Amino acid sequence: MLHRMRFIPGRTLQAIPVAFGVTILVFLMSHLLPGNPAVAILGNHATPAAVAALSQHLGLDQPLWKQYWLFLVHLVHGDLGTSLTYQQSVVSLVWAAVPVTLSLVLYALVLSLVISVPLAGWAATRPGGVRDLGVRAYTLLGQGMPQFWVGIMLILLLAVRLPVFPVSGYGQTALDHLYYLFLPALTLAISMCPTIIRSLRASTIQVLGSEYVGTARSKGIAGAALFRVHVLRNAAIPTVSIVGVNLGYLVGGSLVIEHVFAIPGLGSLMINAIFSRDFPTIQGVSLFVALFVVVVGILTDVVYTLLDPRVDLSVAVAAR
Amino acid sequence: MTITPARAVAPLKAGRRRAARSRSLQPWYRNGSLMAGIVIVGGLVLVAVFAPLLTPYSPVTQNLEQSLQGPSASHWLGTDQFGRDVLTRVIWSTRVDLRIGFLAVLIPFVAGSILGGLAGYFGGWLDTVVMRLVDIFFAFPFYVMVIALVFVLGAGETSIYLAIATVSWVSYAKIVRGEVLVAKQQDYVTAARLGGFSHLKVLARHIGPNVLSQAIIYAMSDIVQDIMAVVTLGYLGLGVAPPTAEWGAMISNGQQFITTQWQQATIPGLAVVVTSLGLSWLGDGLSDLLSPDRRK
Amino acid sequence: MKNKVRVSIAAAFAAIPLALAGCGAGVGGGGSGTGASSSSKPVYGGNLVIDRSNDAVSMNKTTTFDNSSIYVMEQIMEPLFTVSNDGKTVKPWLATGYTVSANKLTYTIKLRGGVKFSNGQPMTAADVKFSIDQDTATGSTGWGYINSAIKQVVAVNPATVQIDLKYPWAPIIADLSLFSNGIIPNNYAGESETAFYNHPIGTGPFEWDVWKKGQYIKLVKNPHYWQPGKPYLNSVEFDVVPDANTRQLQLEGDQADVDTFPDWSTFSTLKSTPGITATAFPSTEIDYLAFNEHVAPFNDAHVRQAISDAIDRKALVNAVLFGNGKPANSLFMPGLPYYDATGGETYNLAAAKEALAESSKPHGFTTTLLIASGNANEATVAQIVQSELKPLGITVNIQQQDPTTAHASLEADKYAMAYSIWTMDIPDPDEWTSFAVDPSGGAQSAFTFYDNPTVISLNKQAEQTIDTTKRAALYTQLQQLTSQDAFAAYLYYPPYAYATSDNVHGFFVTPLGNFHLEDVYKTS
Repeated sequence: MLHRMRFIPGRTLQAIPVAFGVTILVFLMSHLLPGNPAVAILGNHATPAAVAALSQHLGLDQPLWKQYWLFLVHLVHGDLGTSLTYQQSVVSLVWAAVPVTLSLVLYALVLSLVISVPLAGWAATRPGGVRDLGVRAYTLLGQGMPQFWVGIMLILLLAVRLPVFPVSGYGQTALDHLYYLFLPALTLAISMCPTIIRSLRASTIQVLGSEYVGTARSKGIAGAALFRVHVLRNAAIPTVSIVGVNLGYLVGGSLVIEHVFAIPGLGSLMINAIFSRDFPTIQGVSLFVALFVVVVGILTDVVYTLLDPRVDLSVAVAAR
Repeated sequence: MTITPARAVAPLKAGRRRAARSRSLQPWYRNGSLMAGIVIVGGLVLVAVFAPLLTPYSPVTQNLEQSLQGPSASHWLGTDQFGRDVLTRVIWSTRVDLRIGFLAVLIPFVAGSILGGLAGYFGGWLDTVVMRLVDIFFAFPFYVMVIALVFVLGAGETSIYLAIATVSWVSYAKIVRGEVLVAKQQDYVTAARLGGFSHLKVLARHIGPNVLSQAIIYAMSDIVQDIMAVVTLGYLGLGVAPPTAEWGAMISNGQQFITTQWQQATIPGLAVVVTSLGLSWLGDGLSDLLSPDRRK
Repeated sequence: MKNKVRVSIAAAFAAIPLALAGCGAGVGGGGSGTGASSSSKPVYGGNLVIDRSNDAVSMNKTTTFDNSSIYVMEQIMEPLFTVSNDGKTVKPWLATGYTVSANKLTYTIKLRGGVKFSNGQPMTAADVKFSIDQDTATGSTGWGYINSAIKQVVAVNPATVQIDLKYPWAPIIADLSLFSNGIIPNNYAGESETAFYNHPIGTGPFEWDVWKKGQYIKLVKNPHYWQPGKPYLNSVEFDVVPDANTRQLQLEGDQADVDTFPDWSTFSTLKSTPGITATAFPSTEIDYLAFNEHVAPFNDAHVRQAISDAIDRKALVNAVLFGNGKPANSLFMPGLPYYDATGGETYNLAAAKEALAESSKPHGFTTTLLIASGNANEATVAQIVQSELKPLGITVNIQQQDPTTAHASLEADKYAMAYSIWTMDIPDPDEWTSFAVDPSGGAQSAFTFYDNPTVISLNKQAEQTIDTTKRAALYTQLQQLTSQDAFAAYLYYPPYAYATSDNVHGFFVTPLGNFHLEDVYKTS
């Protein structure tokens, strides 16, 4: 197995230009703003002294590539600028918000799997049947509902009409967090499940009809054991890839959901930054999230390889 | 870049394929999804076009004495805090959301398909550059990119189009590139090149029509995504400016009154759901028509 | 959005009666506040959770102007005097009284004995001198204006402070009641200014615990508090909950005890909800639209008049405040001395059209209205104004910025029209008139750059007039002129809406908007 892992260095190397590309895009953002980037970054707080200081810090009088180099140097030193609203370093704000968003995303992922796996299995065992149609109806519906609207409906039903869950907020203790994050995580899960169920159902149907499973059945393996050991592991493989690809969507979706439920994560940070014209924060969060997605991409491939013994990504990687 | 399943998993013996095969033999008007999609989307387009005829009230004129009234015979869904008829605004929103949703697809479709097509056809460094670009843009979650762009460009319709274009083109590029990679190895292409057609002619006349069908099918689901994006931006207050009626803005507005006038936040959302359903069915139906053996 | 930068210019003897009323011993307790029965015995303990829509910005009392910060810092740092419950006078607080020299230039203030900071240090005159001087030092960048009449502060002995004025200045005692003159330890207790304000130390009923930015600020009981037996609560928590629905549901669900500014649309429902008390406290608040006279065509009085006449204020009060509050018809508010509404603003679309026809833009124009984001009332008013100006051919684009940023935009002269709010901080009109109509009043006439020499001279005269009848006449003229000039379009006078659960007792909000949490206790 270690032998198959030899693709990792190559894969990581592949990700490096992407990571650089991400930093270039984020760096260029400040130059898309009209006028002097320093003035645009400081916004209303721009006194001539502050503008001069920031211009120097960013090297605005120097050629663009040198400015980018400075940007990278600052980045490596953990300097992404200072938030105009909170007068704190952007890095510290992002750092404080990351655990919140990560908890939400992971919670949503877990809930998605808890919901999707049984539903997909259910539907796959009898394609075309009533259960299958029901599940497929849900996937169709699930993709058509705006996420934030689902969140609001859940609030209406489970927090207002029936006061089971809190309407919004994050709570203070770890146990609180689990309670407060349930509705938002469920909202994200409801939107995520259709994609997972579709893929899992399709690959489960395929696997169920395969020779491999046929052989297992003839050996007398059936039911839950069959499902767990033989079917699920194989059916999960393409789904892992889909989940990895969609993790970016999940993080993006959590942005809006955090706003709906007033959860102090990266999403709220970014959306509030729009109304306070806090450009450094917008830049910082964009950069962090994009790099996170790149890393997740690598991790997905690793998990993928771990799961499927037939896959040798080193070959595929070289072919690119 | 992550590997898509089709390339890495060894082909397993296919399961029951009868259903798919029989679908392709059906005439289009018997295809359930397609018909449902046509009916719904067609209906929505008609509603959008004939909105002024369908609604006795104005969607923007305020009537402050009649604010926050519940559903009644004269106002089936009640009024909002400005005294405007909610049902009228839901209907008029169809114009805005459908229009922006459809228009927003065009630029990514065209730009992405061209870039992807060129990358797939010529390969080499062009392919590498385009695919790296794809990876870079793909790393930014949609709403992160959109919010950042709205910050830079300001809120409003133009920003929406630009933001969506910047983010969506990557999917088209990937799809078309994949199709072109397969297509260029086909006999008919080799024949065309041997026959003396230039690269451009080959791409435009021979490969193009065959690969674009996948892009078109994807475009249908992309329209759904774009409408979702417009509605979400409207909800955040970053979309179409008031007083124009738009579903997302209506939901945002209605959220304040969710304890007393819950229909204000609920109904516009249902409208979005119905629209998405219609478009999804239409997309599924098109998929059956254009590439029947590819449908899962 | 609150504009709170001020300047106090020489006012003279007119405020003396007020100041004299402030002399006297005794500690003012909280007025009859909320609670099921004001005769119930105070219960010790508990954590009070106050929900509000915005987080604080900073605890620096000399430079911060937003209420979310001020209401918190007032529980920690206290001034020498404080406003009475009816909002009309000041009463002794950390001071016990004062005497004035014959030439009115020297005030000798006696400090209360036995007052300690939360770190156990006793409060002395040196601390008082330092606190006031630090405020004065901020000059035009902060609240220094309020102390502009002070020549020097002298610590005569540990229990006595002497303030020497540059000229006779009757509001000085009222000025000392402003939170920016709150008393802190000498030399920031050995820390730097920035470090100090990260966990400020004061004599107040509560001391600093923690601030999770964007989430909550927690304060805990100050064991050294000087009022015997107070505070009753163990701790107070200020939670950030931007959504009004959430605040209401948290209140109903016992997750919060106080809901700051519940939505007016649910106010009457809240009033009749068992277990909850909804109160509309009389206020000195006025909401208005500021016109930037540096931006054409707002330098044209006809345009401003036209806009002002086109706004139906009664409709606003009904649609936005749901009947709570009154249409604004003057620069002053009812409850402020010398309020006079004759010649005030009214709704008249025909007159509006006439005024516009005579102006530089008879066919209308396009402009922007700046409002605070996340504020449902401002958003509603903005859309109503947008709709009411359409018949005049005026197209209004609504721009949202968060409150701090919006305030900075005003200061930086980067707006056309802006939704603005003002509440009084001392019980004298001069604080507001100087801020609003005098360009040299430190705020460029509430950032409108309004400059009418007649009005400015009226204001200066009124500041120095002792005779109340004469002063009233001057202020009446001032109100009439400003209404004519329509330098701002006054909208309405809203009360302060608070919803509390019935087991909260002693919660009372003065017309200036502040509250004393040492008087609050919770029963179960």
